[in-house]
Amino acid sequence: MTTLAAVFVVALVVMIVYEVVRQAWPAIQHFGISFVWTDVWNPIKGEFGAWQFIVGTVVSSFFAILLATPISIAIALFLTELAPKWLRGPVATLVELLAAIPSVVLGLWGILVLGPVLASDIEPWLNKWFGWLQVFSGQPSPVGMLNAILILTIMIVPIVSAITRELFLHVPKDLKEGALGLGTTRWEAIRGVVIPYCAPGIVAAVILGIGRAVGEAIAVAQVSGNGTTIQRSFFAPTNTLAAKIANSYQGAATKLEGDSLLYLALILLILALFVNGMAQVVIRRAEKRGVL
Amino acid sequence: MATAPASLTSSKGLRRRKRTEKILAVLATLSAVLAVSVLVLVVWAVLRRGAAAFSWDFFTKSQAVFGQSGGGIAPAIVGTIVLIFWATLMAVPLGVLVAIYVSEFSSPRSARLIRTTLDILNGVPAIVIGIFVFGLLVVGHGQSGFYGSIALAIMMIPLISRSTTEVLALVPRSLREASLGLGVPRWRTVVSIVLPAAIGGIITGTILAVARIAGETAPLLFTSSIAANSVSWNASQPLNSLPLTIYTYSESPSPSDHAQAWAAALLLMLFVLILSVTARSLFAWRQRRTGATGG
Amino acid sequence: MFTRHVNRWKLGALGILAISAVAAGVLASAASPAPNRTAATKITGAGSTFVFPLVSQWIPAVGSALGIDLTYAGVGSGAGIAQITARTVDFGASDAPMTSDQFSACKGCVQIPWALAATSIPYNLPGLTKQVKLTGPVLAGIYLGQITTWDAPAIKALNPGLALPSTKITPVYRSDNSGTSYNFTDYLSTVSPAWKSKIGVGVNASWPTGVGGKGSSGVSGVIKGTVGSIGYVDIAYALSNKLQVAAIKNKAGVYAQPGLRGIAAAGATVKTVPSNNELHIVDPPASSPKAYPICTFTYIILPTSSSKAADLRKFVFWALTKGQTYGPKLLFSPIPKVVLAASEKTLKQVQG
Repeated sequence: MTTLAAVFVVALVVMIVYEVVRQAWPAIQHFGISFVWTDVWNPIKGEFGAWQFIVGTVVSSFFAILLATPISIAIALFLTELAPKWLRGPVATLVELLAAIPSVVLGLWGILVLGPVLASDIEPWLNKWFGWLQVFSGQPSPVGMLNAILILTIMIVPIVSAITRELFLHVPKDLKEGALGLGTTRWEAIRGVVIPYCAPGIVAAVILGIGRAVGEAIAVAQVSGNGTTIQRSFFAPTNTLAAKIANSYQGAATKLEGDSLLYLALILLILALFVNGMAQVVIRRAEKRGVL
Repeated sequence: MATAPASLTSSKGLRRRKRTEKILAVLATLSAVLAVSVLVLVVWAVLRRGAAAFSWDFFTKSQAVFGQSGGGIAPAIVGTIVLIFWATLMAVPLGVLVAIYVSEFSSPRSARLIRTTLDILNGVPAIVIGIFVFGLLVVGHGQSGFYGSIALAIMMIPLISRSTTEVLALVPRSLREASLGLGVPRWRTVVSIVLPAAIGGIITGTILAVARIAGETAPLLFTSSIAANSVSWNASQPLNSLPLTIYTYSESPSPSDHAQAWAAALLLMLFVLILSVTARSLFAWRQRRTGATGG
Repeated sequence: MFTRHVNRWKLGALGILAISAVAAGVLASAASPAPNRTAATKITGAGSTFVFPLVSQWIPAVGSALGIDLTYAGVGSGAGIAQITARTVDFGASDAPMTSDQFSACKGCVQIPWALAATSIPYNLPGLTKQVKLTGPVLAGIYLGQITTWDAPAIKALNPGLALPSTKITPVYRSDNSGTSYNFTDYLSTVSPAWKSKIGVGVNASWPTGVGGKGSSGVSGVIKGTVGSIGYVDIAYALSNKLQVAAIKNKAGVYAQPGLRGIAAAGATVKTVPSNNELHIVDPPASSPKAYPICTFTYIILPTSSSKAADLRKFVFWALTKGQTYGPKLLFSPIPKVVLAASEKTLKQVQG
């Protein structure tokens, strides 16, 4: 019976991939592979392309992980090295609680709390001091790419920091003590010994964080502004693969539009599985080398 | 202890290094403070705005007619309970059985295959799972709470499997060998000896999986979103749910909808918090009891 | 000691399973609390958020008058058509008339106009003393991204004496497939050749600029939260959220309001109803000086063959007659007699 269950699970995964491909097939036949780099989404004229959503997904996830990685590593360092022992448990719990916040609640906060603050204070400030950078030019808006990046960062930090903290805790003591014994400062020991030792694990954690960001549909749909074009400014609305599907899938007006949305879903699936697969490869290789 | 090499003890270099260390320590502390502050900000917003909207009506009434304020989210509360119930009922047996297969009966190669498959399943975005269930089941038949639960269950299976395998691995081999040595058949050993020893861990894993999917919106978007505005325990019809209610109300212009969204968010977070704390204390309790049995 | 420990756990596990099974059975067979529910028919519909305010008024009324348990979800006209095509609901609702492709995909559906209201143009400019006046071509210019600030000469010319700020205009559009979008783009295409060639008419468009909101609710929410924004939304939403709406110049040169008089005047321009019931009343002729130029009928979409045909006919007949009386306070004007006749005739096609 257990064998049946195992077979069922494998069959389930195969079925999911097969179903998404099958449902996207008409669009694949119609548009071909050029759908991926075509930047248009015109339901009236029946022209569709995934490019603006791929760009939105990649840009929002990239900057989210850019922000989240140093913050997560720093938090992990704080929790393992710097914080007094009595503080470590509670703070670690608090960071884990951040992971427990459902994405729809973060989106709610993003719309009703972060959005107005972005529009009235943060974005004008950024515009004033960094407006010469194209990404900080333009009209401040409560929803848009910046809001999406920040919400995604908040989502990723708990994941990456929890894994990184585990990794730091498992570094063999003699490795650290050896470096300290050679007269390095604590930071130098960390930079020269702990981080390189944990590097594969940290990379895997970062990749998993990217996977989380790429797949997030709901919170991004709430705060991204549902843009229709690729904009240079972070203040402007944007859109991602997952958010577009969440917004439009049920209401596709023509069969071609519905099929195109499923094509988007296929691209999203491939992207997510690729990212996830890379993380697995890094983990396996690190396990084989005995560092995990 | 060996003396430090000369180049490292020049006082200027040492002072610089110590300063770098201090700066970085400050940065690391600031980051932790930042993370905790954001958490506090979000939780405080939910707490303050949500608690303000708590009322007897909120918990017992259905959504108010358009344009009127008041009303409640009773259908969503009941719906979430029912959806989680069926999802757990479907996911736990499957997840546990797969874990048993991987840890007790399979060859190392198939174990690795199943584990990879579960990792893949875990990596599928929730929205894609929603589309999968929609295309397979909803089209032609209509939405239903069961289909929503199926989508949620698909997300729970990898989580339950993983925690169950870990806990099964903790059961000492001596237990299994003793039972087999006494002539007890393999499957009975698993059912009567191994499983009961691991039940604590399985429950913990299940609770954590429930906490994870309780707030999921995307799987329900296409499977259980067009629901009647009344309390219903019947899963064969589409059901309201807390996450979808929050989603809809969050984009509404009406302040009374916003207030209800915050309150629903507070309810959801309290639920997830209670589950996480329960799971953690169960885990700690098990750790304390752990002697020979490992759970 | 060993066996006792195991047995206790086993019993506990079995007990939990047993209780769960019983609870499952009880829960699954428990009916809803209301006493007369067991005999009522359930009718489920989905679609237009435009008509949602009116339908949500109908739900309790239909329950007590006809004993029908009505559920309606405002998921957008596009989704409404898709759901009824997939027969996941009993009826769909859309402000956009169905295309011939959609009719064939739906395999035997009819569309019946059952309500009439206006697409208002709300904006967020706090501190203005008077209502903003706009024309169709100017609206098109705003949504095409050609007119970018509120004090642009084109807008100033229409509003002499109004202190318009230099705030940037943020046009808000529907991100989901929407019949209100259809109505709005239908109007823009009629009054602006530039819009017609660049964008066209549809339930969604390749909007050149602006921010998207989901559903009429979402658009209202974005407008409320963004100073300098302008959007298009069913008048009931603008009303209930106390949004200021613009007066739009009609063909007679009058700046018309999206009120009952303006809507009724637009509706009265319908003289005959085509066989597929598709009606366009945007930019009505100058012979109707009071008409508001962005009005639309909204349709219920029914399958001609349904197991709930009798109840559906009862419900829709009630909606077309008694239901219209619920409209005026939400600024839905009663459908004109000629449309009522056509609707009732089409309704007869819905059989079991």
